[in-house]
Amino acid sequence: MDRTEYDTYQAAIHGDRDAFEMIIHSSSRNLFAIAYGILQNRQEAEDVVQDTLVKAWKSRWRVRDPEKFPAWLSTIARHRARDLARRRRPEPLPHDFESAAVADAETEPADLGPHVQAALAQLPELHRVALTLRYFEELDYATIEHTLGLTNGALRGILGRALGLMRKRLKPALATIT
Amino acid sequence: MPTIHEQIDEFLAADLHGELSTAEQNALHAHLIECPQCRKDFQEEKNMHKLLNETMGDQKADPAFEQRMVARFRNRVPQRTGLIRLVANLMRFRAVQITAAAALLLALAQMGRMITGEVAAPTKRNEYISDVIESERLKPGDGRTRGVDELAATKQNVSPMAPSSVTSVMAPPPPVDKSSARTVSPPKTKKADFKDEEAKAVTTSATENASSTSPEATPGPMANRKLVRNATAELEVASFEEAVQKITGFASEEKGYVATSSSEKQENGKLRGEVVVKVLPDNLDRFLQKLRGLGELKNQALTTEDVTKAYFDTESRLKNARLMEQRLIEILKTKSKDVSDLLEVEKELGRVREQIETMQGELKFMDSQVAFATVTITLAEKNMNIPAAFLLKERAQLALYAAEVEKTYNEIKALASPKVQITNAQIDRDNTGRVSAHLNMLIAPEESDAVIAKVKGMARVENFQVQTERVSQGGDGLGENAKTERDKVVLNITISREEQEQALQQTSLRIRASEVNDRTKDLKELATKQNARIRSSSFSRDTNGREYADVSLRVPMKNYNALIQSLNALGKVENVSVRRDDRPGSEINEAEAPADISIQVYSQGNIVSEETGIIATLRRTIGQGAGALMWSARMIGVALAFLAPWVLAIAGVGWVARRISRARRARKQIADSEAGRS
Repeated sequence: MDRTEYDTYQAAIHGDRDAFEMIIHSSSRNLFAIAYGILQNRQEAEDVVQDTLVKAWKSRWRVRDPEKFPAWLSTIARHRARDLARRRRPEPLPHDFESAAVADAETEPADLGPHVQAALAQLPELHRVALTLRYFEELDYATIEHTLGLTNGALRGILGRALGLMRKRLKPALATIT
Repeated sequence: MPTIHEQIDEFLAADLHGELSTAEQNALHAHLIECPQCRKDFQEEKNMHKLLNETMGDQKADPAFEQRMVARFRNRVPQRTGLIRLVANLMRFRAVQITAAAALLLALAQMGRMITGEVAAPTKRNEYISDVIESERLKPGDGRTRGVDELAATKQNVSPMAPSSVTSVMAPPPPVDKSSARTVSPPKTKKADFKDEEAKAVTTSATENASSTSPEATPGPMANRKLVRNATAELEVASFEEAVQKITGFASEEKGYVATSSSEKQENGKLRGEVVVKVLPDNLDRFLQKLRGLGELKNQALTTEDVTKAYFDTESRLKNARLMEQRLIEILKTKSKDVSDLLEVEKELGRVREQIETMQGELKFMDSQVAFATVTITLAEKNMNIPAAFLLKERAQLALYAAEVEKTYNEIKALASPKVQITNAQIDRDNTGRVSAHLNMLIAPEESDAVIAKVKGMARVENFQVQTERVSQGGDGLGENAKTERDKVVLNITISREEQEQALQQTSLRIRASEVNDRTKDLKELATKQNARIRSSSFSRDTNGREYADVSLRVPMKNYNALIQSLNALGKVENVSVRRDDRPGSEINEAEAPADISIQVYSQGNIVSEETGIIATLRRTIGQGAGALMWSARMIGVALAFLAPWVLAIAGVGWVARRISRARRARKQIADSEAGRS
């Protein structure tokens, strides 16, 4: 974290609204990625981000160390998203994706979106979040680790496993692309 | 270390994401060339990556996302306006925070002072001033010149009573700077200065006095006053020599000296003497304080004499005389024509010089008086008188119980004789029939034991106390050879009626007998036979035909056992309980001591009462059952009355909770259905 970022976080903790709005600019996309990773619903994710920001502003004084501010924000977002996911009734998958994949693979090779969605939904939460952060915002590994509060090097394993699992799930569909 | 093959997923992902180091990249590519399986995976991974990029790109936040977030945030968290915002912004600065905290503390402290009624500002000022004075007093070297300066300054304004000539000598004009002030005041301790030319001597002594007195009093009009301080003290000490040594020590500590000391031996071999000490006036108080530690301070006096006027009068006269001397000398020098004139002038000159000498002497004396305070201490060694004789004073107190107070009282009064004097006799009778008597006697020592024994024989002794006091005569301490004499014995006698005496032993018992009345009569007979007195008796009969007779007796202890034995003849003795109050150490005549016995004689009564038989039993049973039923009904009512409000309250809360949950569920259903529709 460089000096100006640190100062911004510090000011926000001390109640500077402008600084906090700058933080909204800089990190709401990441938060959205996280929330989406968990919820896989854009509208819900957006609400989560909104709630997260309000809650963070109200309890900003709880953060002692400005270094930890982004990680703290993402923790709030993850908790809220998880709460929401738990509360909403278990959503049935759009359709039985295995058969759909096979069926669609032959007829409509272009629309793989739902398959990707379904495969994503089966991944562990952290893996999903890491993937969305990477593919939504193209963040480098260090930033993602910082945002999620992961220790050094853990992300590489997570992303590797996530991609590997996806690959195996979508093997039939993938074959259609090339 | 795991190989690349084992970690291929990780490596592939990292490679696609551009997170591999060059070395790792090289290693991966080398492995891909070797391993066909991994090559296949790599191909798939690339596809996956592409697919994800495509699909996820659609899902990510739209470009206006941040703007929307900020706008909604502003909406939901309204910004503070005006003064509150300003204060909130201000409070962000550390300095402002600290200032605010300090101000708050100060305000609290000030409030506390106001509440406790302390006035802040004036005390502070006073403290400051006293501090200044203190510091001046504590710096004698520096303070002296300063004292002179201040003196000069004050002198300029006030000193109406001092002659102007002196003023000019003592007070150099104010614009004089420090260095010149210093030259005016030469070193202090040298007494030799007095031998210098007179003018200078006067200046010196004046400044010295001024400086020596000025720190002691507040700098002001008091400063140039000539004060002679004297003190006298009288002390009683254990050893004269030791005390003198200590006084010498104190004197030197306080920059003084022992002027004279004298002592004389008294008849009893103890020393008595006087010590005169001179100390600096400033240290006088401290010196006197120290003196107190020497021994017992009998008295102490402190006097201050103001010789200012006399001093300055003499001084001005001296000045005049000196002028006169000058004039005469000039006359001698210039106009020396006539011998008789010359003689006259010489004579006059001699007289004037004599005057000058006298006045100088006076001034010197006064200076020394002022410079040092005189403390006259009278010391006396403590007197240890040996007593000439001892007087043994005896005081006896006798409390008696008599059956007939008046008779005993008269008997004691009859003992009066020249050697047995009754100083006070008094008999009290109150309307309840209680009688008590008090007698005070004065008995010659040789008769006392016999008389006391005789009185003791007349009645029962409750309490006898003798107090002996040895009074020394003509001194205190232990006289080995002094003889001891017995003084007249004072005897105080209190007589009270026997009834009031606490019984030594209390017994209660029951006797079952068939004919209560007759047995009670028998009992009374038995009692009188055993010399017992009946204190109370009662008789009662209850509805069942049972009879009770309560009799309480008092019997001397010697007859107690016989009486108890004889009671067996009356009937069956039951429930005997005995309580004995032992009074250890008391000289009680146990045979004569009273014992209380309370006896209940009772009969069993009719065997069959009216309240028996089937009907009575039935009636009773039904009556009791109905009563129990009523009672339990009433209890149930009470319990209901207690519980009802709680039940109502709990029911109310439950109802509200159910309403709320129902409303929430309905809302959720609506929301869900809407979501489903959308």
